[in-house]
Amino acid sequence: MIAQVGGMRRRAVGAIILAAVVAAAAPAAELDTVVARGELVWAADQEGGGPHVFPDPESPDRLTGFEVELADLLATELGVKPRFQQGQWDRLPLLLGRSADCVINGFELTPQRRRDYRCSRPYFAYGLQLVARRDGPVDGFERMASAGARGAWRVGVLTGSAAEIAMRERTDLEVEVIGYDGTIDSLEQLRGGVLDAAVMDDCIFTFYADRFATLRAVGRPFAGGYYTVLTAPDTPRLAAAIDAAIGRLVADGRLKALFDRWDLAGRQQVLMLRDAAEIPAASRRGLADLARETLPLLLTAAGMTVLLSCLAFPLAVAVGLAVAVGRMYGPPAIRGLLTGYVEVLRGTPLLLQLYAIFFLLPKVGLALPAVVAAILGLALNYSAYESEIYRAGLRAVPPGQLEAGLALGLSKWQVVRHVLVPQAVRIVMPPVTSDFIALFKDTSVCSAITVVELTKRYSVLALSTGRIVELAVVTALLYLCMSWPLSLLSRWFERRLEQPADGAAEGGSQ
Amino acid sequence: MSGSVTGGSVTGGTFTDGRPPREASGAGAVAISVAAVSKSRGAVRVLDDVSLAAAEGTVTAIVGASGSGKSTLLRCLNGLETFEAGGIAIAGHRLGPGPQPPQALERLRRDVGMVFQQFNLFPQLSTVDNVALAPRLVLGLSAAEARARGLELLERVGLGAHVRALPATLSGGQQQRVAIARALAMRPRVLLFDEPTSALDPAMAAEVTEVIVELARAGQTMVVVTHDHALAGRAASQVVELTAGRVAGRMPAAAGA
Repeated sequence: MIAQVGGMRRRAVGAIILAAVVAAAAPAAELDTVVARGELVWAADQEGGGPHVFPDPESPDRLTGFEVELADLLATELGVKPRFQQGQWDRLPLLLGRSADCVINGFELTPQRRRDYRCSRPYFAYGLQLVARRDGPVDGFERMASAGARGAWRVGVLTGSAAEIAMRERTDLEVEVIGYDGTIDSLEQLRGGVLDAAVMDDCIFTFYADRFATLRAVGRPFAGGYYTVLTAPDTPRLAAAIDAAIGRLVADGRLKALFDRWDLAGRQQVLMLRDAAEIPAASRRGLADLARETLPLLLTAAGMTVLLSCLAFPLAVAVGLAVAVGRMYGPPAIRGLLTGYVEVLRGTPLLLQLYAIFFLLPKVGLALPAVVAAILGLALNYSAYESEIYRAGLRAVPPGQLEAGLALGLSKWQVVRHVLVPQAVRIVMPPVTSDFIALFKDTSVCSAITVVELTKRYSVLALSTGRIVELAVVTALLYLCMSWPLSLLSRWFERRLEQPADGAAEGGSQ
Repeated sequence: MSGSVTGGSVTGGTFTDGRPPREASGAGAVAISVAAVSKSRGAVRVLDDVSLAAAEGTVTAIVGASGSGKSTLLRCLNGLETFEAGGIAIAGHRLGPGPQPPQALERLRRDVGMVFQQFNLFPQLSTVDNVALAPRLVLGLSAAEARARGLELLERVGLGAHVRALPATLSGGQQQRVAIARALAMRPRVLLFDEPTSALDPAMAAEVTEVIVELARAGQTMVVVTHDHALAGRAASQVVELTAGRVAGRMPAAAGA
């Protein structure tokens, strides 16, 4: 799953707004543009895994998967060449009209997608499969009707997938549904014991069953539907051409042959595709309904953002200060160790550190809840930066201060604690404050390890409601409403620290 | 007050303050003994076979040109600097050549206070907290006891009205008086002064000199490194002159007066 890290991106609200604006402004490429260009650009997430689109194990620079072959066939039908465009799975539709002509990546045909995009006729029938550990307690949905020994059952799903929608609608179950950016991540965490179960498209588990031999499919698929090719709303002729092409592939047996090559029961697939029923498009909510439905969710997610920053930052400051003091005044061995600590944490991306804590620690028997892993990751990452700031602050204290403290009979550590650190803390207050705001915004990276904070919640809601721009504005306002008081608070703190440190701090005055 | 000692000689007539040193406990006992201390910095011999002795309750002024080693000698007395040869006995503690164990230095410094040229007050603490910090941390006094001691000492150096002020809001002379109170708060047997008036204008230097003279009168054992004739003249029981790291002259001033 480390391979996924490269493709992950920070999700800044600004970027999403920009994406929405650009998407709204530029007309999408219609069929004639595609033909003139000679290329059909199709988007997918190669980190989503098999059997859809994934790097060929034999030559990892090449993509393979049944959807790669489908894209080849569709492009050929349109008389052009296929070109692959990588994107993060749940945001692939945002690429339509920008850097992709269509999305072919296991996107389930849903009323919401019918409303927001053009959906082709089905090209694949999937079932939703419950997966659990062979030696685990989960043996069916009946078991999950009441809480288990560890409380609500933890069930992993792919964020934005039909599996997620299906599981969130199951109010009859005592489950905590946890959204992952990749299905394989949820399998890893299920195997590691972090999850009790996972729900995914049956073809995915069939594909990976050998790699995850300690896991098993529980029962038969309990629901199902169809994959569709998504195109931009303003490209009716491209959509029609793709529809017609799929029809020809079904009719002349090429699709059956393709599925048979991938061990996907071609005859059964073709029969189901032929008889697939129409799905109605969802209606677009009015703004009042939208606000009523989304605001509570956004506010809860904003609470998570505040929780992450307010717990992680004090920890980062405490660790950073300790590291700085150790590097300045500790014995040489400790100094070397701490220098290594700072260089490693500063020299590797926060996202990678979060991945390591969340996905790798369970492999050595330390499975942390996502929120704890997120706080820990943020705190460790920022502690490296804070320690450098505090080190600079300690160096800025005049050397006479250390001598004055020592001359009074204080030990070195007493001087550090009571004389040098209080002065360094005051000196570096402005950069530390600005780091707090930076961490506050960096909490959005934690969505990569299933923590649903504000940016993640926005992204999910925007895609499910189709109100990308409206919700982006609301989300940005929420961020501002939170960071502004934080600025005020730290400015107040800064002013307070410029007063004499009396009373409790040094115990000497009233 | 312009009397920096340039030629390396201090005229005997300067020391006219005829008070006898008040006998503290262990009257006449040797408080400080420096025996053949030498120190080099690279090729430069900063201290060269320096010896001196001072009795309890006396004030020793160390004079000499800039670079003569007088501050270095003073800083050797409380272990802020190491030396390579010789030995020091001060306030019942002993210092040998080379680095000393930190605990031994901490014990020594409880009994040997120091006042710096640049005051070195703790800028984040009010004056009373500056004074009360070490008694609380080192002597284990309660916050209330330490504060009471701080208030009393600030009163004694004439700063009773500024107990809650931050050092930066005080004049140089006031800051130096706070620094003296801070050193006195440990009730040191010996108090070291490193050019206590050099950073001050004449009026402020006079304030500080008054305090030091007052202390001398009260029998506080002190070693004062100074350029200041008035200070040396009014307070010192003996004057030791250093030139290029060597003792170039001694003046048992006011010894019998």
